[in-house]
Amino acid sequence: MKKLGLLTGVVVVGILGACESSETSGESNYPSRDINGIIQWGEGGATDNVARSLAIQAEDALDASFVMQNREGATGAIATQYVYDQPADGYSVLFGAENPLIYNVLGISERDYIEDFYPVNIIGQGLAGIVVKDDSEFETLEDLVEYAQENPGDLTLGTSGEGGLPHVVASMLSAELGTEFNQVPYDGDGPLFTAMLGNQIDATVVGVAGAQEYVEAGDIRMLSIVHNEEVDAWDAPALSDIYPEFDKYLPWGPFYGAFVHPDTPDDIKSTLVDAFNEAVDEESFQELLSSLGAEPINISGDEAVEWMKQTQAVSAWLLYDAGATESSPEEFGIPRVEDLD
Amino acid sequence: MEFLQQILIPFFDWELLILVAAGTLAGIFIGAIPGLSVTMAVALLLSLTYSWDMLPALALMLGVYYGGVYGGSRAAILVNIPGSPASVATSLDGFPMSQKGEAGLALFLTTIFSFVGGLVGVLVLASAAPVVASFAVQFANRDYFLLAMLGLLLVGNLSNGTVAKGLFSAGAGIVIGLIGMDPIGGGSRFTFGSLQLMNGVDFIIALLGLFGMSEILYQMRELKRQGKPVEFKKMIIPPLRFILKFLPLSMRVSILGVLTGALPGAGGEIAALLSYDHAKRSTKNPNRPFGEGAHAGVIAPEAGNSAAIGGAMIPMLTLGIPGDAVTAIFIGALFIHGLQPGPMLMAQSGDLFWVMVGSSILANIFLLIFGLMVVSIFIRIVTVPKQILLPIIAVITVIGSYAMNYSLTDVYWMLGFGLIGFFMKVHNFSVAPLVLGIILGPLIDTSFRRAYMSANGSMPDFLTGFVTNPISLILTIVIAFTIFSQTPIYKKVKQKILPKKQQT
Repeated sequence: MKKLGLLTGVVVVGILGACESSETSGESNYPSRDINGIIQWGEGGATDNVARSLAIQAEDALDASFVMQNREGATGAIATQYVYDQPADGYSVLFGAENPLIYNVLGISERDYIEDFYPVNIIGQGLAGIVVKDDSEFETLEDLVEYAQENPGDLTLGTSGEGGLPHVVASMLSAELGTEFNQVPYDGDGPLFTAMLGNQIDATVVGVAGAQEYVEAGDIRMLSIVHNEEVDAWDAPALSDIYPEFDKYLPWGPFYGAFVHPDTPDDIKSTLVDAFNEAVDEESFQELLSSLGAEPINISGDEAVEWMKQTQAVSAWLLYDAGATESSPEEFGIPRVEDLD
Repeated sequence: MEFLQQILIPFFDWELLILVAAGTLAGIFIGAIPGLSVTMAVALLLSLTYSWDMLPALALMLGVYYGGVYGGSRAAILVNIPGSPASVATSLDGFPMSQKGEAGLALFLTTIFSFVGGLVGVLVLASAAPVVASFAVQFANRDYFLLAMLGLLLVGNLSNGTVAKGLFSAGAGIVIGLIGMDPIGGGSRFTFGSLQLMNGVDFIIALLGLFGMSEILYQMRELKRQGKPVEFKKMIIPPLRFILKFLPLSMRVSILGVLTGALPGAGGEIAALLSYDHAKRSTKNPNRPFGEGAHAGVIAPEAGNSAAIGGAMIPMLTLGIPGDAVTAIFIGALFIHGLQPGPMLMAQSGDLFWVMVGSSILANIFLLIFGLMVVSIFIRIVTVPKQILLPIIAVITVIGSYAMNYSLTDVYWMLGFGLIGFFMKVHNFSVAPLVLGIILGPLIDTSFRRAYMSANGSMPDFLTGFVTNPISLILTIVIAFTIFSQTPIYKKVKQKILPKKQQT
């Protein structure tokens, strides 16, 4: 029996070892084997849908297969750390959302897109809408803001947790307009819609595409789009058209991106950049993005880094000013958005 | 009558028919292997069917969903290792049945009543989806808290007599469930600065260790004692009257299962536990005491968790809100195939709804056919010598826990839980309450805190909510009654009011 047990152990170690081992990569003929795509969020979510759909388009351009894995947990920090720990050979690509930009200030992890990764592609940006239930007394965003100013803490705002979209937007409103909400965190857009339909919350901030369905069904009303200009597809005024003081924060919002280790050889980086660029432009992928309520961006490298710095500066300082962060953005060299060049 | 035609589409389209059948069959085997979860299988199919048309892709995924939930109870009955959290309750009486030589009967009964439960789930989905959905969204945080507390009361029923030990296990389970990132504030609990611990402990990993690895260790301990091998009675199909006797029970738990499944915050595992609890309370004269192989104890959870599938699809199809982890992937699939899941889905693509209903009925029929066909294959597992069977299960358990998140940390957790479970079994602690605590702990934590925050942190407002909201009031009364019915006062009162009934 002891022998059998030992044998089992050896077999198991062997199998696990085989999974971990990596071949030596020939840089010139990249990609010569399957590429691992690591997704920060779980199966079926928006990030997962974007990642899996894009990987299939990129496979054609790269002439290699993607093996996709969801390594969810700790708002994406597990997957981010994992890809950072892999060899810088272009065979591990991180598919993620905006969260790692504020890991540092929230004290979640040391990893950061700007310092620790090379952006292969910033795929697209999701638009968010401020919504209330259809039978709500608030017809416009001004109504909601006025009530919140006069009755601090009286309105319940559903959020998706610290640093999530509704939390940052609430911090924005509070910084510029002095509103105060009773914030109750839920597990994302689905539970937020449920809570809104069940009269648990007065207002929330959610992805526009999902919200549009409920607007058409007559269940909820969209008061404003968190964006600096009106978007034809969505029938609600842009936030900065109502309150111009928000112009400096926008455009801001959730985004999807693909990243590799920064030490990846340049020729591999450019192979990936070209392939992803082509993949994002693919018509069927553009359709998926618009059905998710996301605007295509499709930028890479330095351009992408500059773009992310803006988002990072907005989120980090808003959260810091609202007292929601562990440490000051200054400690991590994040300038205020006004000081960005 | 247009919808009848749409329901029948999968019955007459050979491609859909074959895909549902193949999915169901594959699902049964995937579900039966501990660690290979339905969620994983359906997620894999999402990538695989990316370029397919929508209906064939959904047909295959639906088949795997039904087959997988059903398959989970095979391993629970035969080797005491639940293939999924939804079959924990089935192992409580299923494994004792198989030890008493009734493995065939247990497999037969669970197949029949999975079919019954699954069908009830589809019928409710087809006939009352909007009504059930509007009920489900009215379930507030406070009600989830009460539901979880009701679940916690099951500890008394799961711990087989030694309630103190059961409470200890459940308490430990709740604490383990707290490990990781605080879902409300984002702070870290018991993580000691480790990123791996921030992810918390997946209850499937705990399940694999506490039921799987610990059972292997426990049975290895008894290998040398080589008692007489389990008698292998040939399966005799029980008379129809025997099956019909359980029909009222299965109907009640199926309705319970649909409603629980329809709640966005509760799924098949809670449905199965509540169903088991209901069976234990309502069955007056079980053939054997519960926990020792009662027939009602395998029927109820299987009918309940199958019915929960139809329930989980209700908020998904009517509101675009997932009822559980698997329906969340279905929503992803609808997106990828160009549909917008949400409250407009029924109005815009009503045919999809009816084809889903039709495919579900079909999946249940195939489940019945394949389920009964493979009973004779599965039952042979009982006759495989332990020296051969246990190492195989050990390897599967390790691979299963690695494959969950591709993380070796999970494997260590699983092995740790295996050791804990082993010592618990040696010292007569039941492991089921520990799993119950890990499942319910986070739900109690988040729902209580959200409810309190929703009341603006005001204790009077928070407390009056329990009696002013109708759903909360009913749940509060049920909990109060459940506790009260265990006290001696209740028995005295009952005897005074119903003296005659007590005597007969």
